[in-house]
Amino acid sequence: MVWLLIGAIFLTGLWGVMHKANMVKKVMGLSIANSGIILLFVYYGSLSGDTAPIEGSDRVMVDPLPQALMLTAIVVGVCVMALALVLVYRLYLKFGTLDMREVELKSWKLHD
Amino acid sequence: MKHRRLLLAAEVTVLALTALFLFGALRGQHRESSDIRGYIIERGSEETGALNLVTAIYLGYRAFDTLGETIVLLIAVTGVLYFLMSAEGKHEEDDDT
Amino acid sequence: MKKTTILDLVSRKLAPFMLLFGFYLLAYGHTSPGGGFQGGVVIASGVILLVVAQGVDSAESLFPSPALSRVETLAFLLFIGAGLTGLAAGMGFLGNPFAQVDVQAVPRVGIVLVLNLIIGIEVGSGISLICLRLFREE
Repeated sequence: MVWLLIGAIFLTGLWGVMHKANMVKKVMGLSIANSGIILLFVYYGSLSGDTAPIEGSDRVMVDPLPQALMLTAIVVGVCVMALALVLVYRLYLKFGTLDMREVELKSWKLHD
Repeated sequence: MKHRRLLLAAEVTVLALTALFLFGALRGQHRESSDIRGYIIERGSEETGALNLVTAIYLGYRAFDTLGETIVLLIAVTGVLYFLMSAEGKHEEDDDT
Repeated sequence: MKKTTILDLVSRKLAPFMLLFGFYLLAYGHTSPGGGFQGGVVIASGVILLVVAQGVDSAESLFPSPALSRVETLAFLLFIGAGLTGLAAGMGFLGNPFAQVDVQAVPRVGIVLVLNLIIGIEVGSGISLICLRLFREE
């Protein structure tokens, strides 16, 4: 059942990137899809045990490897989002609008 | 108007294909324990010295990934400061040295 | 952002505890859930609470931007230096020389604790620097 929800999160992010014209909403859709993939990895790593992987407990421990890899993935995702938002801000300063279609039209006129 | 409807149909097609792929890949039983998990749980805390096994992975066995990730953070901060500073157009404080 | 009494009061009372919790996650990262990245992000979120609720100028007087950028680059150089001590002790770059050799005064965790602190300071100062720069309105 959980994989249906994770798939729904990823598809929501993908829909946001494709359909919305506002550039900030596109970047937010990308962030939602990023969170969905991280949840997928952590969920499938947690199926093989009961408790957190800390020494000193006598129950079966989960797989610690996906959690350690997702730590780096989260920080890299934050860096990508920060740079994407700064680029959207620079586009807004130059063209005066956040709508992707108008930016496209104006940038074609700029090169003629 | 026709252009818009074509675009909407293309988006729905891409979403449907992705949903089909995810449905086929995530459903069903998965092999629930990897081979390296036994090794890390047994020998992790004596070889690296940390009781938290996740810390033993990202600072013991795979410390180069952590080094690369700090480099990525440094470059991202430099990029953000550069783009915002040239947008303002004045130098009021010195840059990431 | 418009200043209200509730936001002003709650942020002034809550932000030191958030910074303290972030340092707790950093320092106990090797025995309980936590570690470098988690503690650094919680520290940055404490700074962001101050920026959002009190305004950029008063948060900037507590955490000035040139100091944050120098702290971040210094932490990165210290990380490489800590890796080189592992090389000098014969266990490879970023190895833990105290796991095999038993020195009486130093606990077995050794360089893992130092590396956690360095990573936490770097991540916390990097993300607060990004947010202090993005929140400026002019």
